[in-house]
Amino acid sequence: MYAIETHNLTKKYGEKVVVNHVNLKVKKGSIFGFLGKNGAGKSTFINMITGLCIPSSGTFTLRVSSNNVKSKIGVLPDYSAFYDDLTALEHMNYFSKILNLKLSKNEMIRLLEYVGLGDAAKVKVKKYSFGMKKKLGIAQALLNNPEILFLDEPTSGVDADSILTIHTLIRNISKDGTTIFLTSHNLNEVEKLCNEIAIMDKGEIRVQGNIDSLKRSFQENITVTIKCGKISTEKYKELNDQLNLIGNSIQWEKDQVSLIVKDESVIPIVNKLFVKMNVDVFRIQVYEPTLEEIFLRTGEQ
Amino acid sequence: MFAIGFKEFKNLFKSFKSLVVISIILGVTLGSAKLISIFQSQLHQLGMNDSPYATGLLIIILLASPLFIFALSHNAINEEYRSRTIRFIATKTSRENIIFGKFFGTLFFWIVCLTIVVILLTFFSGHFYFSELIQSIIYVSYFIGLTILLSTVISRPGITGFLGIVLSIAVTIIGLWSIGSKNLLLKIFSYITPYFFYSQDNENYTYLVLIFPILFLGLSLMILRRRDL
Repeated sequence: MYAIETHNLTKKYGEKVVVNHVNLKVKKGSIFGFLGKNGAGKSTFINMITGLCIPSSGTFTLRVSSNNVKSKIGVLPDYSAFYDDLTALEHMNYFSKILNLKLSKNEMIRLLEYVGLGDAAKVKVKKYSFGMKKKLGIAQALLNNPEILFLDEPTSGVDADSILTIHTLIRNISKDGTTIFLTSHNLNEVEKLCNEIAIMDKGEIRVQGNIDSLKRSFQENITVTIKCGKISTEKYKELNDQLNLIGNSIQWEKDQVSLIVKDESVIPIVNKLFVKMNVDVFRIQVYEPTLEEIFLRTGEQ
Repeated sequence: MFAIGFKEFKNLFKSFKSLVVISIILGVTLGSAKLISIFQSQLHQLGMNDSPYATGLLIIILLASPLFIFALSHNAINEEYRSRTIRFIATKTSRENIIFGKFFGTLFFWIVCLTIVVILLTFFSGHFYFSELIQSIIYVSYFIGLTILLSTVISRPGITGFLGIVLSIAVTIIGLWSIGSKNLLLKIFSYITPYFFYSQDNENYTYLVLIFPILFLGLSLMILRRRDL
């Protein structure tokens, strides 16, 4: 079941196509990472599906339990601002009234505490740091206990401590079954948090899918590194010859050897070989391409 | 809509703005009432209202309220747009609610201010001018609608601030001028300003003015619905 589905969603500004016939499906309950360089069209895309931007063509569906979609989604838009003369609590009160929610003051304070703003609930937003504003942005997006949460660059420009808090928050929110749609420049963040990703480039989706399967599809060869015990010269020679039959590009470094194999099925054979030759194996490491490599290779394509 | 309207009302009312509006309207009404009472018999012959207070109130409302409305509310929509606070609101409620909320919030502020003025006038005149209050509310609703439209069309508050003042003076002068003019263009113009309707003997004509704020809000909504926020 998909929480978000778009069909040929397009946005043009005059002749310039910013989002080009994007078809995207986001599974219910997943944390979906939406990646792309600056100007790739990520924010325009998220703005269209959250109602901030009018699509030029195409359709989208947000599957929530109410006909009033806005009452069931939470949005942290990028490039948004708060009212400087209001406190966090007053913001929460105002936004909850717009959403027709009947939340008590304590409930709103609890929500602010949840994002780490409990102590600053009654402080005017003009005195907030950038990170605090991002946290308030997340808190206001959670007011209606959303079924789909859109976070546009939630950690951009935020200090390291706040990034950790926001990551923990995202994981906790996801545990409740909320679908989270996250755009980010930070590939490590997406790799840590998300189950599925899409990479957008020049307004088009280049790659989409589960992170693990994407890594596999981008993996032409597998590099295996084995950390083993001390080996005598004779054993070393024999082991090296045997490894040459299994894989190639064999490289020894102290008590560690790495080789390139064709697929994962070869890994147990490598292990058996070491056991057979009475060589202790301490660790077998399989190298996978990082999201960064996938991202860069997508850009090259 | 109510939350947006209430915030707009609170913003206008909590500051000194409300005190200034009430003081000026009351002060000028009392002053002009004194002046009118000197020429009451002559004005009566010209068919003007019997009560100097009611006449004074309508004069200040007709001449000065457009300026006040534009000065106070020219940035009702575009300030939210400029500061990007509208992005939080628009993801929570419809654009209709934003437009109507802003309109009714501002209108409510004026209803409260005018009601206070009319109540205060009773201490001087011993009469509650209910009909004049209703006519004043209808009149200000025209300019509040126009202000909302201006604030939606032009996204820069600096421009609407200047244009609002120019427009409030121009509409008032040309509107009043057009009533007695035989120039075709001015005649047409008179039908789209409230002054023609307020110059008719039959008071019911003033209710026709309500069509304009509805029109202005409809146009504002059409524009806002097509706009990327």
